[in-house]
Amino acid sequence: MNALLPAAPILFVAVSALLLMLAEAFGSPATGTAGEVGLDVGAGRAGELALGAAVILFGGAIVSVGLWWAGTPGEASTAALAPYLVMDRFTLFFCFTLCVGGGLSALLAGGYLPEHGLDRGEFFPLILFSTVGAMALAAAGDLLTLFVALETMSLGVYCMIGLRRGSSRATEAALKYFLLGSFAAALMLFGGALLYGATGHTDLVGIGRALGPLLGGSGGNLALALMGLALMLVGLMFKVSAVPFHMWTPDAYEGAPTPTTSFMAVAVKSAAFAVLLRVLMTAFGDERLASWGAGWPPVLSVLALVSMTVANLIAGRQQSVKRMLAYSSIAHAGYALVGIVAAARRPELAASVLYYMLAYTVSTAGAFGALVLAGSRGAEAVSYADLAGIGKRHPPAALAFSLFLLSLAGVPPTAGFFGKLYVFSALVDASAESTWLKVLVVVGLLNSVIGAYYYLRVLVFMYMREPEPGAPIAKPMRSGYVTFALALAAILVVAIGLLPGTSLEVARAAALTGP
Amino acid sequence: MSPVARTFFDIVPYVLAFAVAALLPRRQGAAERAGLGAVAVFAVLIVKGLWPSGLPDTPNPAGEWKHLLDVIVFLPLLGAVLVLFLPRQSPAVLRRFTYGILGLDFLASLGLLAVPMTKGWHFQHVEAWIPAFGIRYHVAVDGLSLWLILLTTLTTPIAVHVSFGSIKTRIKDLCFAYLMLHGAMLGAFVSLDLFLFFLFWELMLVPMIVMIGIWGGVEKIKAAYKFFLYTMTGSMLMLAAILYLVYQHQKLAGYPSFDYLALSRLVLPSWAAWACFVGFGLAFAIKVPMFPFHTWLPDAHVQAPTGGSIVLAAVLLKLGTYGYIRFCMGMFGGVAWAAAPTLGAVAVCGGILYGALVAWKQDDVKRLVAYSSVAHMGFVMLGLFAGNQAGVTGSILQMLNHGVSTGALFLLVGVIYDRRHTRLVREFGGIAKVMPVYAALFVIVTMSSVGVPGTNGFVGEFMVIMGTFTSSTLASRSAETVRNFAVQQGSIAAFGVVLAAVYMLSVTQKIFFGPLTNEKNRRLNDVNVRETLALAPLIALIFVIGLFPNIFLSRMNETTESLIQRYRDARAAYQARPADADPELAPRRGGPLEIGYPEDPGEKAQPAPAGGTEAMNAPRPAGGAP
Repeated sequence: MNALLPAAPILFVAVSALLLMLAEAFGSPATGTAGEVGLDVGAGRAGELALGAAVILFGGAIVSVGLWWAGTPGEASTAALAPYLVMDRFTLFFCFTLCVGGGLSALLAGGYLPEHGLDRGEFFPLILFSTVGAMALAAAGDLLTLFVALETMSLGVYCMIGLRRGSSRATEAALKYFLLGSFAAALMLFGGALLYGATGHTDLVGIGRALGPLLGGSGGNLALALMGLALMLVGLMFKVSAVPFHMWTPDAYEGAPTPTTSFMAVAVKSAAFAVLLRVLMTAFGDERLASWGAGWPPVLSVLALVSMTVANLIAGRQQSVKRMLAYSSIAHAGYALVGIVAAARRPELAASVLYYMLAYTVSTAGAFGALVLAGSRGAEAVSYADLAGIGKRHPPAALAFSLFLLSLAGVPPTAGFFGKLYVFSALVDASAESTWLKVLVVVGLLNSVIGAYYYLRVLVFMYMREPEPGAPIAKPMRSGYVTFALALAAILVVAIGLLPGTSLEVARAAALTGP
Repeated sequence: MSPVARTFFDIVPYVLAFAVAALLPRRQGAAERAGLGAVAVFAVLIVKGLWPSGLPDTPNPAGEWKHLLDVIVFLPLLGAVLVLFLPRQSPAVLRRFTYGILGLDFLASLGLLAVPMTKGWHFQHVEAWIPAFGIRYHVAVDGLSLWLILLTTLTTPIAVHVSFGSIKTRIKDLCFAYLMLHGAMLGAFVSLDLFLFFLFWELMLVPMIVMIGIWGGVEKIKAAYKFFLYTMTGSMLMLAAILYLVYQHQKLAGYPSFDYLALSRLVLPSWAAWACFVGFGLAFAIKVPMFPFHTWLPDAHVQAPTGGSIVLAAVLLKLGTYGYIRFCMGMFGGVAWAAAPTLGAVAVCGGILYGALVAWKQDDVKRLVAYSSVAHMGFVMLGLFAGNQAGVTGSILQMLNHGVSTGALFLLVGVIYDRRHTRLVREFGGIAKVMPVYAALFVIVTMSSVGVPGTNGFVGEFMVIMGTFTSSTLASRSAETVRNFAVQQGSIAAFGVVLAAVYMLSVTQKIFFGPLTNEKNRRLNDVNVRETLALAPLIALIFVIGLFPNIFLSRMNETTESLIQRYRDARAAYQARPADADPELAPRRGGPLEIGYPEDPGEKAQPAPAGGTEAMNAPRPAGGAP
């Protein structure tokens, strides 16, 4: 029993998810929906199930916090789980972030699904199991665990995307993500197989150790290992949606129901960054591989630059707010990659990526939540024109959306601003002798300006434009769950942005023990 | 206090928050109220949990209440948040609330005059904020920021008063925008911590674009975008420079600090100093605005509503010049000295001459006043580039003058726009017959803008031109042609005064005098009570500053002296250093200019390392003389 205690967050959410699934499967449908043909038993109960899922996920976050305070688990208890699951403070930080993001998305679903005719219960066990997979992915210390966790997380997400069975757009989005995701997972497996062949290990620590002697010499095994590194990087970049592996993101985000989009943008991306950090710093953390001359950092820095710039430029041309937010999440992946580039030079700078993920989670969940709030009864708020004039018609929804957009744009005093400050100050720290990195700092900060343009566009439409006469406009919904989620996210955005002291300490502690 | 009482006082904030949040809504059911109460309790929990712990007190000279600046800055920001909870349907309540907050703020800022502005920082307040980054909440005022704060607290109520006369829709959003803008501008003037300064600097942009974009003119949205993106580009470059400075300080001193006092000790190699100067300088040049980064100004000014233009001209532009003095001259004095002649030439030709010539050709009165702003700010920047006592003091005074006279000009243009909904000069002509009081006021403000003796403009411009003539900074660097360049600059600047008279008098003549050609002008109402009330303080100030400038100059002098002393020291150090020397930390100056210096947090924890090479124990000047 003691051996399983370090994995408490994952186990808590997993077991509770099973119980929720049973409750959903064996409960009776809500009154008024009985007698409808082809309806499952979860129909009409999205509200309660959302509450249950949110309680479970926030409970998982609380369990992570509790485990953090209880202190680092002793050697004996972690030995049973290692090397498959590494439950150190790095993992606990990400478990917290993932559970908060998942909980906010579940609450959004509780408001969105009934309003838009998707009032089915299977969404919630899916989101819970995906979060379990995401947490396991953040904890993965072995390539096999990595793959299993990745697939667990992704399969749930594929189903959540395709929830609207009749919609060709949703099905297209799900299929695109599924095919490309499977492709990327296959590439990662191939890379893992090559690494196993080269080093004889599947656990990340073992690979890291075995690569050391290999790098000194040359020969077939080294080539295998480097190809394995490249293929793993491709798969991970796909998951993180860096340019040019980002093609699936806009379509998948746009076709999915907005709570699913929120979950993908928040939880899947955070988990992907966690595993990217762990793989790069543990398995490929050798100085020669992480060196500036011949390792992965220059590749990552170029990918970061290209992600930021391309995504920001394309986002400015979008007509759909949801698609714009998808491109914005690609740009944010670019900013976070900048933090990883800094961490290659000095490992403790990885704390900037952790803080950025937390800030990004609350801001993005809030932004998608405000988008959910702005639409109702089959008329979703999707395009800029839908949002026109909401500043006058429904000021609270507009104010909430503005706050989260300003946080994503990096305007003080929000968490998004501090996240960008932290990431770029980490890069300045790491740019001691490198002119290219200094250039990257300036270009990255200027990208914030390009990004501000399309966030501002939403503000302009909300406050400064009137809807075309006769055009269909979105009416904001009244939903306690969505309002609660937005209030929570807003408090976190402002609190973490203005008083980041504790979050910074936590991020630093997590980064130090971590990968 | 007994344990029971202590527990009671511990729980009270949470209970209070729950009660307020649960009882505030009017139509919600019990479950929703419980949810709102839970959110409020969570908010209090988070704030209490994350609040940073305090630092030992910084000694303040007697009689200076250390929270005065907090009140001045945060009262409007708090008011802005409270406005969100006031009912949208009662504009009278909203207006009275806004007047009340701004009036209280003005009275609070008058408290700053109680103390003589001797050398050093006054009303200082330092609190720990984010120790991991060396960010502190550090606010203080000196002779430079004192008058700018007073200008702000005077101008915003005037702008608000005028706005309420012409804007009748969405009053709640207007009040929120004004209060937030007011608080952010004040915060930028008093911050001594670069993170805090940057926070307020960026925070100003959002309410400004809201004002331009909602109540602006025909092309308001394009103007709003241009303003925001242009200014944010400069800010991002400034952020890059700030991050580099903090990194260097951490490397040299061993502990991170965003504090202005600590970072001004950095002496960087030539390329780094120039790069950081450009980063900061560009942000301020865009704000001032200096040619060629001025293109956002005419659009923003013309499209903004009258009140927005007043605040934009009177205060926001001053933030650029304030930033230049405080940060570019204060932290990179050597580079500022080296760049001064070139920048001075740009200020004269691109600012004063170009602004005046383009203003002369304008047909839209508001656009004319906007370009006249460019010209006047050229004078201000020229005084700064001159780098001597007359120049800098004249420049600071001219900042005040510009705020007063251009604020009044935009107000007057707004009066005409309210009457006729056009600003084209050719639509008017001879309206002095119909609106005599208005014509008189317009002529007075024109005289002030031109710089007629007796008005404020004269004192400022005279001091700036005198400073330019006698400036050793602007003088040519070679020995034979000493002072030649300065003389050239001064002459052209004096010619610029003539040009100002040309365009202002020309437009005055076209609008007010001559025959009343347009029938629509025959029945225009003269200035009403609201507009007169708004103009009166500005007109009074025109004469007070013009006839009794010493009231204002006396409080600036010591600060200007110490600024120029630092500038000269930095220049000497810059000339003495080889260009590629390593970065180093200058010794601490000590004295009143260094109250509030961020000490190394590690120094108290452990004794100084034996034979340590850490520069945190940099040699202090013997005797600690300032």
